[in-house]
Amino acid sequence: MEMQSRIIFIERGTEFLKLKRDHLAKELSESIEVLRGRRRLLLESLGEAYKAVQAAYLSLGPTEVESQADSIRSTLDIDLLPKSTMGVQYPYIKILNKPKIEGELDITLSYASDKVFSILEEIIRLAEFESRVERIADELGRTNRKVNALENTVIPDMKAVIKFIQDKLDEEQMEDLVRIKLIGGALASER
Amino acid sequence: MTYAVVRSHALIADLLDSNQMRTIASTDSVEEFMLQIAQTPYGQVTLEPDVNPSVSLERIFYRKFIERIVKVVDLVPSNIGELLQTYYYMRFETLNLDRILRGKFSDATPAEIQASLVPMMPYRAPSYQALSEAADIDALLELLKGTAYNTIAEKLPVYKQYDAIWPLELELQHLYSLTILRSVRKLPRSQRRMVSKIVELEADIENFLVAVKQSRAPKEGEGFKPEEMFDATYGISTDVLQLVVDGADLRDSVESLGEPYSAILAPIYEGDVALIRTNLRSQVYKTVNEARAGNDFGFNTIMAYLVFSELEKDDLVGIAWAKEQGLQGEEFLKYLVVPNVS
Repeated sequence: MEMQSRIIFIERGTEFLKLKRDHLAKELSESIEVLRGRRRLLLESLGEAYKAVQAAYLSLGPTEVESQADSIRSTLDIDLLPKSTMGVQYPYIKILNKPKIEGELDITLSYASDKVFSILEEIIRLAEFESRVERIADELGRTNRKVNALENTVIPDMKAVIKFIQDKLDEEQMEDLVRIKLIGGALASER
Repeated sequence: MTYAVVRSHALIADLLDSNQMRTIASTDSVEEFMLQIAQTPYGQVTLEPDVNPSVSLERIFYRKFIERIVKVVDLVPSNIGELLQTYYYMRFETLNLDRILRGKFSDATPAEIQASLVPMMPYRAPSYQALSEAADIDALLELLKGTAYNTIAEKLPVYKQYDAIWPLELELQHLYSLTILRSVRKLPRSQRRMVSKIVELEADIENFLVAVKQSRAPKEGEGFKPEEMFDATYGISTDVLQLVVDGADLRDSVESLGEPYSAILAPIYEGDVALIRTNLRSQVYKTVNEARAGNDFGFNTIMAYLVFSELEKDDLVGIAWAKEQGLQGEEFLKYLVVPNVS
């Protein structure tokens, strides 16, 4: 009886896990599409930013570019915070401070740094999104394994055990019945 | 002077032409680039150990260029020698002082600062080693007192007010412009025209670029005063510069300037500022060539040799960096001058 109620509980849990799996799979396929689009756009912007940096190096020479870049004292400060969706935890990056570059760089380098900074936040958000997608994929894999294990191993095993017990009980019941019938027959012939 | 002119003619013949430069630019790696360089008057070059190859090559090309200036300065009369020294040595020294200031500002070590300097002896400044070892910017400016760079110390309060080195850098540029203009005035009228044209064009374009940069900066605090920022203006007036700073339509401003400014500044529409500098260098090349067409047996030839040498040096530095990055010819050729001259 206890096993019967346990198997009902496990089957209900499996249904919930299946729902979670389907939801995660939907979320993952949608996210992958978004990720592809955002990556493509970012690669285009990165290409433009690299061209601007390249032009600055060709115009000023490597030593001058490095000397000017080193003179920027303020740095990019970020904070890493946890966020969660459907029990899946992923990092959220909060930008606390962006470097102040106005006035310190030559105009070629200033244009290049503007291009880099315009995509910097997108790079951070994309890294965050990629990490979220990876974790959803991991969670989906885990949930799928759990559902498979429950559907293909745990529940069939438990059902087999219940059936075995049920069969045993039926057999014993039958034996008892036969035994009672035999005893009853013997008693009747004695009378 | 005659010997210097004849010598300059011979030296110009030794410079790399556009075909040689294109061959060098088409190499596939730094190693191949160095092999090509070995077949030119530069000969075999050796990279410094533990230094980035393009930085090491940049120093080699700077050294070679300074050697060329020294050779010419030794041959010319004193007034021309003074102009050439101011035009080149003081420009490089200004670059070095800029780098020392930046190094001090960002707390770089003296060794790091010294590694970033143009390899030359001090011209009008004290020892670069002493400057790079100064405890801080105040101490550095103290060392510059009593030298040609005395007035930079006057900008110390502005530097402290903004906690930024641009006021000191601007004063350095201002000093350089004033000194070069004084040297140009000492030249005979016939020799003055070409140098004035180059110096004025360079100053105008740099002023315009500073105005564009200022127009993009956040507008806070005190209003921008163009007469303070632009100490010397020629073909581009302070009124135009003020309009640019105030965010007027760049196309209108550039087109109103006429040639050669509108052609030089045209890449600003696409935001390709580096190409403006290339156009400026090409225009300098054209100016020198035109001057030589008028008289190829005087100061023009000497100046042409040094201008062409510097363009060659700048192009080779660019190619060396491009090769280190694995860039192929067409990607960076537009930023070079010598390979694109016919």
